[in-house]
Amino acid sequence: MKKFEYLKPHTLDEALILLDQYGGRARLIAGGTDVIVMIKQKEISPDVLISLQEIPDLDRINYNGSLSMGPMVTHRAIEKSEIIRKNFSALTDAVDVLGSVQIRNVATIGGNISTAAPSADTAAPLLALGARVKLKSMKTERTIPIEQFFTGPGETVLQKDDILTEIIIPKPLPNTGSAYWKHQRRGALDLPILGVAVLLSLDKATVTCSDLLCTASPISTVLHSLEGDEVFCKEVRIALGVAAPTPMRAIDAEKLLRSKKISDELLEEVAETAAKEAQPRDSIRGEAWYRRDMIKVLVKRMAMKSIERVLKPEETVFPVRLW
Amino acid sequence: MKQTINFILNGEPVSVEVEPHLTLLQVLRDKLELTGTKEGCGMGECGACTVLLNGKTVNSCIFPALEADGKSVMTIEGLTDGQGHLHPIQKAFIEYGAIQCGFCTPGMVLSAKALLDENTKPTEEEIRHGIAGNLCRCTGYLQIIEAIKAVSGQ
Amino acid sequence: MQDFINIGKRIPKMDAEEKVTGKAVYIPDLKVPGMLYGKILYSPHAHARILRIDTSEAERLPGVRAVLTGYNTPPIKFGFYKDNPPLKANKVRSFRDEVAALAAIDPDIAEEAINLIRVEYEILPAIFDPEEAMKEGAPLIHEEHLGGKEKKPTNVLNLPWRLIAGDVDEARKNSAYVAEDRFKVTWVAHCCLGTSGCVAQFDMKSNLTMYSNTQIPSLAQKDYLDALSAMGLQGKKVRVIKAMIGGGFGSKLDTYAYEYIAILLAHKTRKPVKIIFTREEEFFATSPRQPAIIDIAQGCTKDGKMTFRDIRMTLDNGAYTSWGATTPSVMMMPISSLYKVPNVRYVAKCVYTNNTYSQAMRGYGNPQATFAIDSQIDILAEMAGIDPLDFRLRNANTPGEVTPQNFKINTCGLRECIDVVAQRLDWRQNRGRRDGRGFGMASMIHVGGGARVYKSDGCGTIIKIDDFGTVNVITGATDMGQGAETVIAQIVAEEMGVRVEDVVVTHTDTDICPWDVGAHASRTTFVAGNSARGAAKKVKEQLLEVAAKSLGESPENLDIRDRIVFSKNDPEKKSPLGKILRATHYAAGGKMVMAEYFYDPPNENLDKEFKGNLSVTYAYGTHGVEVEVDKETGQVKILKYIAAHDVGRAINPMLLEGQVYGGATMGIGYALTERLILQNGKVMNPNFLDYKMLTAKDVPNIETIEIETDDPSGPFGAKGIGEPGLVPTAPAIANAIYDAVGVRIKELPITPEKVLAALKEKTNLK
Repeated sequence: MKKFEYLKPHTLDEALILLDQYGGRARLIAGGTDVIVMIKQKEISPDVLISLQEIPDLDRINYNGSLSMGPMVTHRAIEKSEIIRKNFSALTDAVDVLGSVQIRNVATIGGNISTAAPSADTAAPLLALGARVKLKSMKTERTIPIEQFFTGPGETVLQKDDILTEIIIPKPLPNTGSAYWKHQRRGALDLPILGVAVLLSLDKATVTCSDLLCTASPISTVLHSLEGDEVFCKEVRIALGVAAPTPMRAIDAEKLLRSKKISDELLEEVAETAAKEAQPRDSIRGEAWYRRDMIKVLVKRMAMKSIERVLKPEETVFPVRLW
Repeated sequence: MKQTINFILNGEPVSVEVEPHLTLLQVLRDKLELTGTKEGCGMGECGACTVLLNGKTVNSCIFPALEADGKSVMTIEGLTDGQGHLHPIQKAFIEYGAIQCGFCTPGMVLSAKALLDENTKPTEEEIRHGIAGNLCRCTGYLQIIEAIKAVSGQ
Repeated sequence: MQDFINIGKRIPKMDAEEKVTGKAVYIPDLKVPGMLYGKILYSPHAHARILRIDTSEAERLPGVRAVLTGYNTPPIKFGFYKDNPPLKANKVRSFRDEVAALAAIDPDIAEEAINLIRVEYEILPAIFDPEEAMKEGAPLIHEEHLGGKEKKPTNVLNLPWRLIAGDVDEARKNSAYVAEDRFKVTWVAHCCLGTSGCVAQFDMKSNLTMYSNTQIPSLAQKDYLDALSAMGLQGKKVRVIKAMIGGGFGSKLDTYAYEYIAILLAHKTRKPVKIIFTREEEFFATSPRQPAIIDIAQGCTKDGKMTFRDIRMTLDNGAYTSWGATTPSVMMMPISSLYKVPNVRYVAKCVYTNNTYSQAMRGYGNPQATFAIDSQIDILAEMAGIDPLDFRLRNANTPGEVTPQNFKINTCGLRECIDVVAQRLDWRQNRGRRDGRGFGMASMIHVGGGARVYKSDGCGTIIKIDDFGTVNVITGATDMGQGAETVIAQIVAEEMGVRVEDVVVTHTDTDICPWDVGAHASRTTFVAGNSARGAAKKVKEQLLEVAAKSLGESPENLDIRDRIVFSKNDPEKKSPLGKILRATHYAAGGKMVMAEYFYDPPNENLDKEFKGNLSVTYAYGTHGVEVEVDKETGQVKILKYIAAHDVGRAINPMLLEGQVYGGATMGIGYALTERLILQNGKVMNPNFLDYKMLTAKDVPNIETIEIETDDPSGPFGAKGIGEPGLVPTAPAIANAIYDAVGVRIKELPITPEKVLAALKEKTNLK
């Protein structure tokens, strides 16, 4: 393996100074599950690694309706957070199936999005949850919507001297549910063929449904049980991973659904539209046609799962096999 | 430039001089001659190199050695007590035929330990979730799952 | 049933404590003083002429001790066809071709140096499709290779696999139903968790010691000796010391280039040289299971009696020829002898391409052939309007049968296996609903009593007993994790009347251990077991003879139980084993209690027509599976898995189940997720992230059922069970998918994409 120096600053300022000093020769390292692998695979060859492990507080999770996470929050910490499971379920769905326990114990959310793999599992949920990220350099500090963060495969707006310091997820509207589905070939240690995250806010003060929803039923059956409730979609965000060079929002699909009464036919159309917006490609990990087809299937399913989570908030279990 | 790291290894303090690019696995195997921890892939994709860092499983093959400084590391060699008595998980693995070629075994045992330390009565699904990061080609996992169930009294 | 003390018991593996504590020593853990680290440079092209190699910069790097190429090494050739030099000169024929190698004082320097070697190539047209490679004018992989009657240059190997029995053409005419299909199977990898490696060391007399993880110590010894001869070291000795093996599955049934490279480097530097593969090398530079294109036709009468089986097969041999090219000989077994089929024709061609070359892997061709055969049985049964269960029962093999390949079927529990699987799946109730859930089954035959692949199928055992009653069993068998040493200890203990813990099994060193042809063909329990039992009988006779003198009793009245020699007539006459041994050793004119036994099973080599009783007995089995198919995503979930096997007798049910679980799991991967993806000859997924081996979350609960037929030729009735577990898995799953959603997938692995595409096509046709 290529040799490098390994620096462990104790404050954020110290880290920013080092980053400024070494410029392109340095690379930040969080958990290292991407960085060390990339060095071993000779994809990158930094002379210096600057570790963020010793900087206090970067692994904090604060919740006061909205959620603030430091970049060094591990996937395992997210997986274990009841607050996140309950309020930002899509994110729990994502970390639950990310890599393995060993990886999740070390890998961080900041690292996951900064590496900016099109397959990054937390990216689509963060897009669906409307997250913003705070970036800091010696000179500037700015907060941007996560949509603007990704610029290409492995590329972000992060400049050489920037550190991602915070991820903020706004307080969801009342009656909001979210869900993420990682479409993968096995139950663990996998990358998604496709990732689909949906957030739905229903326009109704109290949505009640006596029937136990089962997503194995056709959508219309489920919606039928809500018919008397006239469920409207107040807000929706649909995000896709591995469907384009960067994690993306399906904006047109969202427009179709926003402020509309939710119906079987409409969800069908929404999913079709999302599939049209996407630009999936062929790779050894999956074929474009299949990815596109799965968008049609999984957007619907995640929308249903989101509705289910509004109705049965106490049962925010991971959506195992949904058929 | 070499740096010295100090950490607790299997209950005993150690001090090692390491080059910054070394992984924890390299330090354990090559410098400290604890070859019980195996390298199966070198990329964090198989779990053979699993060790416990402050009680949590990590893939030591992609873990920078310098980050072990000040922490507590347990390898498979640390699981047997001072008198050479096997840990109950080790006994169960033996008794239930959870070992064939044995290459994944040290990592698998440590994943099982971390799981049971956190959750004394895991369901079968939780067991599978907990050891999903440890690939095994010989056993089909089933006897491993049985062994872990047995340790937790199920 | 006999009352056994050690047989049939769930005794833990003898090496389990060492393994579970991390003390077991595998090749990567081995350090020999003064050891250097070897590293190999591979070809960056599938097919190219080597114009120039410049190693000067690498040689100058401090710490580098030797750099070798195909131009400065002796002409060693290895492999089944002897078409493979460890280091390639003149041209490269695949991406895994070894172009240069070096030894350095540490692995980092070795890696740095390997990147300093400059090679110039002229790229040649390459060919990756075996059917294309057979055509006139295709680029030649080995220009010097001549084939066919005209002795013309060709890519087709001179291995005309051809089995004919009865009259297939006539039988086809007289068949009421005929199914014809093309099936395809692709490369899959062994995925041993421990990567390949060795340490080669020469002594001052130029004798070689090889620390190896081979499955075939005695045959590897011969391969290495041939190499030494080619190096001008005639008459030198080779000792193979086997370390703990981190997984075998057939991958270590041949010798590889890296082993010869280590030998060459060790000889050049006069230092021990260690080579350990990275995971990436393990994926691209070791040999996977053969891909095959299988054209198959089978027919039956109106009432479902099978009439014929006709198979043409094209195998992608890759660029070099290992023992893998002989897999068609094993494919003949299910082709001729799975279900009763009177007329059989099988023709197979192995074709050179610029792909990676293939090798033995658990099942050795059998899983490929069985996928086609038993998938098509369901197709044929449907044509005939017969429940596939009844179809299988109607054609099931039976004891006493002689199959078209002249296999003499001894004990045969196939019918019982089919019945029990049907019962556990509640087959008659459940099958045929096409509601997204489906049920399928498939059966298998494999050699269960050795396999006479070589001129001998033998294995030797030496047993001696020390002063304290410890029984030292020195066997030719190889334990690679499956538990051979434990099973052998159980057999010896049972035969001799001692405890398993009194037995020590040594199986690792060609200087000490007797000869054996290796751990292959599921033969170890059967052949090494019979050998061990034979030696145990002999040594027991000797023991009773010496005990008879000291106890004043005739030997036939004596027996041993629990380490005590006792008289069956007079309970007062008894003595601990150790005491008798000491008395025998510490006596004027003393005697050593020791015996050897060589067991070579009475099986036959295949004759020129590829017929003959290859194995003393055969292992049958049936797997049944319930799946659920997601019609929208094409994903397949296994809900229930039943594996029933005729095992003869389970010497150690726990280890046996381990073989079946592991085999079936590997088989489920073969069926659904695993494939080594080659694009233009290059392995695109040489890592565990993209090669989809199953995790603990993916494996269904597998229910194993052991049918004990107590084979008269097996040790205590046992048959081999190492490979059978994965043989019928893929067709059972494919059949269940068909039952669930009505689509027939004829190409492995059955990915969600293939299922969904087939479902769409079916809908469009409607």
